[in-house]
Amino acid sequence: MLKDYFENLEKGIVSSIQEQGGKASPRKLYSLEIARVGKRLYSGTNKVAWCGVTAPFDLLYAMGLTSCFVEFVGAMLASTGMVGDIIEVADHVGYSSDVCSYHRAVTGAAIKGLMPRPELLVGTTNPCSGGLGVIENLARHFSKPLFILNIPQGDSDHDVAYLAGQMRDLTEFVSTHTGNKLDRERLKAVIENTNKARELLIEVFDLAKQSPSPANNKDLNNFLISLALILGREECVDLAKAYRDEFARRIANNQSGVEGEKIRLMWIQNRIQFRNPLEKVLENEYKALIVIDELNDIAWDPIDPDDPFEGLARRSMSISFNGTSFRRIESLKRLAKDYKIHGAINPCNWGCRQGTGTRGLIEAGLRDIGVPVLNLEVDCVDERKFTEGQFRTRIEAFMEMIQSNPSPWQ
Amino acid sequence: MYYLGIDIGSLSCDAVLIDRERNMVATSVVPTGARNREAIAMATEFVLSRAGISRDKVKAVVSTGYGRDRVEEKLTSVTEITCHAKGIQSLHSGAKVLIDIGGQDSKCILMSDKGTVVNFAMNDKCAAGTGRFLEAMARALQVDINDMGDLDAGADGALTISSMCTVFAESEVVSLIAEGAGVNEIVKGLNRSIASRTVSLIKRVVPDFSGMQFAMSGGVARNKGVVRAIEEALDYNVFVPEIPDTVGALGAALFAIERSLQ
Amino acid sequence: MSNQRNEAIGYACAYTPLVLLYAAKYRPYRVLPRTESQDQAGLHLHDNLCPHVKRILDRAMGGDLPELKAMVFMNSCDAMRRLSDAWAKVRGHDRTILVDLPSISDSHAVRFFAEELRRLGRSLRQWSGNPLTDDLIREGIHEYNRLSRALSTLAARVHKEGGQASLQEAYIKAATEPLPDAIRFVDGLLSGDMPAKAAGQSSAIFLFGNILPDRDAFDLFEACGVHIADEDLCTGSRMFQPIEIPEGEDLYLGLSRAILTRKPCARTFDPARPGQIAFDMIESAKACNAAGAICHTAKFCDPYLARLPFIREVFRKEGMPLLVLEGDCTMRSMGQHRTRIEAFIEMLG
Repeated sequence: MLKDYFENLEKGIVSSIQEQGGKASPRKLYSLEIARVGKRLYSGTNKVAWCGVTAPFDLLYAMGLTSCFVEFVGAMLASTGMVGDIIEVADHVGYSSDVCSYHRAVTGAAIKGLMPRPELLVGTTNPCSGGLGVIENLARHFSKPLFILNIPQGDSDHDVAYLAGQMRDLTEFVSTHTGNKLDRERLKAVIENTNKARELLIEVFDLAKQSPSPANNKDLNNFLISLALILGREECVDLAKAYRDEFARRIANNQSGVEGEKIRLMWIQNRIQFRNPLEKVLENEYKALIVIDELNDIAWDPIDPDDPFEGLARRSMSISFNGTSFRRIESLKRLAKDYKIHGAINPCNWGCRQGTGTRGLIEAGLRDIGVPVLNLEVDCVDERKFTEGQFRTRIEAFMEMIQSNPSPWQ
Repeated sequence: MYYLGIDIGSLSCDAVLIDRERNMVATSVVPTGARNREAIAMATEFVLSRAGISRDKVKAVVSTGYGRDRVEEKLTSVTEITCHAKGIQSLHSGAKVLIDIGGQDSKCILMSDKGTVVNFAMNDKCAAGTGRFLEAMARALQVDINDMGDLDAGADGALTISSMCTVFAESEVVSLIAEGAGVNEIVKGLNRSIASRTVSLIKRVVPDFSGMQFAMSGGVARNKGVVRAIEEALDYNVFVPEIPDTVGALGAALFAIERSLQ
Repeated sequence: MSNQRNEAIGYACAYTPLVLLYAAKYRPYRVLPRTESQDQAGLHLHDNLCPHVKRILDRAMGGDLPELKAMVFMNSCDAMRRLSDAWAKVRGHDRTILVDLPSISDSHAVRFFAEELRRLGRSLRQWSGNPLTDDLIREGIHEYNRLSRALSTLAARVHKEGGQASLQEAYIKAATEPLPDAIRFVDGLLSGDMPAKAAGQSSAIFLFGNILPDRDAFDLFEACGVHIADEDLCTGSRMFQPIEIPEGEDLYLGLSRAILTRKPCARTFDPARPGQIAFDMIESAKACNAAGAICHTAKFCDPYLARLPFIREVFRKEGMPLLVLEGDCTMRSMGQHRTRIEAFIEMLG
């Protein structure tokens, strides 16, 4: 079913691009690449690795695997409107509704046979304990070998060495269980692509920072987290270039992403994955733009293609969810200042202990620099729990509040 | 020339009519029921008839509340958070923190010196501590909900209600009655339970509220016992307007003046 | 010497290397959730974080702590990490450390954790002004093994004769009071008679899960007809497991291995044997000839929530009745569980 879904999705986007004379918005090209990720996962012929969020997808690609973080399945199911029935499957076998819906969706999908059978699994202790538990369950469900990457919370040399050592071990693990040997030249080429994409993406984000921004609310939605799945591929470099060129073109033509942009927002953690009125309300009623998502931030350095393991380790440790809440708050403050935001929205995804556990500290931290925070308390995946009226009231009240108070950047 | 504010809540639909000088001319409160448009029409008709004026004398209408998009002839809609802040400021200009506890939700709003909203928190996922909660408890205690405000008289406050949920609190009250606990003690326990939840909600909005002036709106503000319990928990007085239920609609009417001048 | 074990260092997790705190001449003091604490933690933490960490923070916010020279946190789960952040906000003047804790116990993890223990050791030395020598660590291991043996002996007796509440009291004293006092208390119980079992029918039950510190909870179990034939809780037997370090092995490496390979919380597992916790629990239940099992965990505990469905499945397949209780780690929720527990015992009867 999902194999057909992704194949048709890809076909549909390709033909739509052809109808437009080969021209496509970068968002459409992004959607095409995501469709191709899905197609590769469900092809039935590729060797699949189900992973945690901070696994080194480009390293696994270099070793011939199609790898993906499991939460992608939850997000994808939510975007298709199919997720409620699938989560119910997990509910019926005893998974508590207190657990994050990304994970319940993945669990339900596995039970229903909607997750392609992997060759192996790579769990990561970051971002969360719940995610690690799901990976353990999937390893048992599929009876497939499991490797765990313990992501250290600190950033000392001994922390980096530990993770780098584990990543070297991971390549041996992959070789043992797939027969694919690590080809150093291939790895080098893949990492060079990763670095190229990184440079271009930094340019993309720098352009997006402009006031008004060339980006609209859709352009960078789920962007970097999904692009991690194609880092190392030529397609990722091409896509980053397309975004860079398009944003530069819009700036040169004085074309802002949201016409008459008035309010700039930061979105904390993950977007709401199912169809919802957020973007329409923001753009049409308030000329507001989510100009920066917390996860659209590159906080890692270029990786040495000849000896990438330390660089890969540092990259996995660099995400804002690693380390203390204070580290994360500093990162959020930096983004708030860089992008000159008027307010931040924290969806507070239900069940997300690591992310919303210190919601109070995050709010206080941003308020210290004059940035108000809206705690939405929404389930980002389980559409059944969505109450549009309450959602709209909170968003609209927050927008009204921003409109009637001075900007923190005056 | 008159200006109309309509607050369509999930339980009641309130209308407030003001004149150009921002004086409150008339109010009306009708149950919302299942048909919002009928309730809106009825609330409008009642407030106009109480004021003795015809519809064509109303220059502008602003709507608020859950059903705000259903008012057809509105100039605009504004959320109930912003409207409540506006409304309470006109009644008590020093108010910094507004607690609004309605039929089935509660909110806390922090206002700037100019009366604009600076922060807010809503609890609309749980009816504990709201009007519904008190209705359920009044049923369990077999008393009139309108008498609940004075029923804690003489209680020493030793009894606590531990259940957070309306349904379980009702069971707990029934058990306490069976064990012979006095109605006044139970009511005081309930009031303190609401006060405790309210203080938690306030602290989410403004962790340090020392020196601030508090106000309260919503139907539950009519309950003197709850207001007293909140004052005790905060160690601050709480201003309650004469008609606490229509603060949101008043705010909407004030916005009708402002927005029609823009 | 700047202290002689009169000064306390707080901790919150059973994975804490108490031996090192003891060797640094501190009294380890476990900050346990208390029934009477006022709910305040939601101000800094989210309401859906586990009540274990929320109640610990409530004690900090309520000033309900003895004087602590420092606080040691283990990175055992998301909730603990977030607690350490909130603690820094609430008690900014405290010395704190967050010790990283791998989720597995392979040789890399053991070496990494040994380095983390060394890092903790350096902090302890700095705070106390005392050297932290291998001899002191060996002494700590010796004393804690003595405690562990005494508690095991007491547990074996209690699981035959009853008196789990007294055993629980012993665990709590061992976690909060000076070690010699705790050992004395245990020896006192061993040399006396166990309290008489509650009259009435009781069923042999294997109790497992995580946080349930209150001795009253065990009185309640007994009153409901539960005879605890064996237990696996982190406020119980998992707290004081013996430490065996081969002669000649580096002490930090040995301690690391001992901690990572002990009877685990659900957050630690063997990737080569996913789901093993379910099999370990059913084996333990069978080994004590339990008629049924009770799993008690803190609400919102992700490591256990993820594993519970498979645990249920395994128990069902083995025909062992299982009652799953989720609570707030205090007597508040235990009162609500009474009917369930009694009904479960009636069902087994």
